[in-house]
Amino acid sequence: MQKRLMLVMSVVLGLAVLALPALTSCGPKAKEGQVLKIGMMTPSTGPVPEKGVPGQHGIQDAVEYINKELNGAGGYPMQASWRDSAYDMAKVGTIVQDFMNEGDLLFTTHSSSEMKAAQGKANEAGFPGIATFISTMNLHPAAHIYGPTPDYGDDWVALAKYYKDHIWQGTGRPKMALHLLGGTVGQGTLDGAQAKAAELGIDLVATENHALTTTSEIESLTRIKAKNPDVLIISGVPASSAVVLRDAKKLGIYPGTTVMLTSASFVQAFVDLAGKDDSGAFVAEGTYGVAHVVTWDENVPGVAKAREYAQKNHPADIGNMDYLGTWATVLVIREILATAVKNVGYDALAKGGPDAWKLIEEQGIKKVKGYKIEGLQGGSLSFTPGDNRLDKYLRIYQVKGGNIVPISDWQEAPLVAYSQYDK
Amino acid sequence: MDLPAGTRNYTYAQDMAIFRTKTHWFLLLVLLVFLFTAPVWFGNYWLSVANLIGITIIAVTGLNLLTGYCGQLSIGQAGFMAVGAYTSAVLVGRFNLPFPVAILCAGVGAGLVGMLFGIPSLRVRGFYLAISTIAAQFIIVWVVSHWTNLTGGFSGMEVKPASIGGFVFRSQASEYFLILGITIAAVFVAKNIARTRTGRAFVAIRDNDLAAETLGINLFRYKLTAFFVGCFYAGIAGSLLAHTSRSVSADYFPFMDSVLFIGMIIIGGLGTTLGPILGAVFLRLLDVLVTKLSPWLQSAFPGLPPGFTSGIAPMLFGLVIVLFLVFEPRGMSHRWQLLKAAYRYWPFSY
Repeated sequence: MQKRLMLVMSVVLGLAVLALPALTSCGPKAKEGQVLKIGMMTPSTGPVPEKGVPGQHGIQDAVEYINKELNGAGGYPMQASWRDSAYDMAKVGTIVQDFMNEGDLLFTTHSSSEMKAAQGKANEAGFPGIATFISTMNLHPAAHIYGPTPDYGDDWVALAKYYKDHIWQGTGRPKMALHLLGGTVGQGTLDGAQAKAAELGIDLVATENHALTTTSEIESLTRIKAKNPDVLIISGVPASSAVVLRDAKKLGIYPGTTVMLTSASFVQAFVDLAGKDDSGAFVAEGTYGVAHVVTWDENVPGVAKAREYAQKNHPADIGNMDYLGTWATVLVIREILATAVKNVGYDALAKGGPDAWKLIEEQGIKKVKGYKIEGLQGGSLSFTPGDNRLDKYLRIYQVKGGNIVPISDWQEAPLVAYSQYDK
Repeated sequence: MDLPAGTRNYTYAQDMAIFRTKTHWFLLLVLLVFLFTAPVWFGNYWLSVANLIGITIIAVTGLNLLTGYCGQLSIGQAGFMAVGAYTSAVLVGRFNLPFPVAILCAGVGAGLVGMLFGIPSLRVRGFYLAISTIAAQFIIVWVVSHWTNLTGGFSGMEVKPASIGGFVFRSQASEYFLILGITIAAVFVAKNIARTRTGRAFVAIRDNDLAAETLGINLFRYKLTAFFVGCFYAGIAGSLLAHTSRSVSADYFPFMDSVLFIGMIIIGGLGTTLGPILGAVFLRLLDVLVTKLSPWLQSAFPGLPPGFTSGIAPMLFGLVIVLFLVFEPRGMSHRWQLLKAAYRYWPFSY
């Protein structure tokens, strides 16, 4: 009897294994011209091409991968309309309108400033946006803009906690200085600091700003040095943060004072731009930072695929975190689209427009659950009402031997209420 | 004004008319019909482009009065736009003033700030004045970025849509009509300023300020007037930009925009009413073309080096400005005049 049962089970199992490839290809089959359109902009020219160009390549390669190997989203090919915003905020408004007009289901930006310029009209129209780099003011109050990762305020909280728990060995309250890029990046970090510094027992002793195109921060760092901080947090883009760090080294602030960086700048380009000192050592050696995605050296399926496509199409981008960041964002978008297609079908989404946008939000973004983004991010994708961060995990990294390596486990970033925005 | 062969002015009214012949009126009517019915055949995207062009025309027309007519080189027009944008955003958002009052205050505020930075124009000119207006650009942007209590600092401000008498300009089409109306009024006023005693004084100062002074023109007064008027226009443009973008921050007013505005009046034609319009339309449409063309080029020619297609825009802008400076320094409006003359004299164009 038992033998017979085993035989039946083996046959069933065998048939199931044989049928598996057929079953997986039995999803909806897209007809000619049936695509899911999305709009994507990057600042590929203008003041931050070192972020925009690899970000653009990450988008394009991820879409190619999804369409070639993952059968698109829910069985329908993804079609990405890419535009170069040139970091021109007036132009961002027309680009978003273009995306809405051409029937895109959602859009992404590659900088929090771009999203800030886009979100007024997008929120008004109910056009969902996914911000690859996110400031506090993009997500608060929660409307139609979402983040695939935590925001810059969360970066500050994570760095401050890590400093207190693992680095600070003094007594009393540590003194912290902030060197912030003027704009949404720096403001997001400042928001986090102002909301949580007192609670974490940290004294903010100096706040300085730098410009996107800064070439010297000796003056501002001299003021910071006079306050004798224990820790300096730099929040900028790779180029501007490298200038701040180099000047901190010139003034003898670093090493000595702990230097930590937020996610927008803590990428390999920052280490490269900071360069080496006279002894041949990396200037950025030993600095700490926070990131929302894994490094290129980690053994996860997402990195393997990104490496494969980058090798084929854009080999110079291997090792670039902006590339990996947008690659992960496109996978997040694929999951959103696939979920929406599964819940409401392709026809309801086909033409775009306000009804489709609403479905993307209600039946896509708000229904995704448990997607691991091929291991590229720390958490899994899920929506919590009132919190538009779809993945809430981040990790602390350090520059060791010129490479950015993780030094902590993934940790959850709790939602911070920002009274100035969440009115 | 150039008139068709056989057309003579017999009265002062005829001499002063902007639209003199029936053909002029007919063409104006066609243009107005086209402009006012544009939302019927333009999609929202092209309306948003048209809105940006309209705002740019207002700002560049003001710069043309200051630089093209009066000869006071200003590379801070984007900064003066910022003054207008923040003035309007604060007055509507914080003090609940009606939009029409706010936009006028934006113009006046930007004009007064412009006058302040125009004071050095009595002592310095040309390259040196340009440097002082660049300072204006950076000082203004620094102030709006750091006056956090009022302007929101680096976060910027959310801005309510424009509204007049309970009607809210929320859609692209309604914004288009608002901007179109103000743009037409701005161009009409600029055209008339150029024909007044003040406008002639501007031109005299531009051509030779010492000679103008010996003729009794008060240089200080007229230069400051030019700064006020030019920056008033920038303030109006800034206000419209803020209310149609729904937000404002220092990022909206980069230094490169001030340089681009100078490029627009060079390409369009300095010291003409038509120049700023042609320059703004040409460069904004060129930008749209490149933005649209770049993804297509990338897919058509995958072998191009990474970032090449994105880099076309800045290269093209630079090239176009250089080509105009070399081959048509009097700008597109001069080319338009030549075209009209050729049409009028045809087939005896010699």
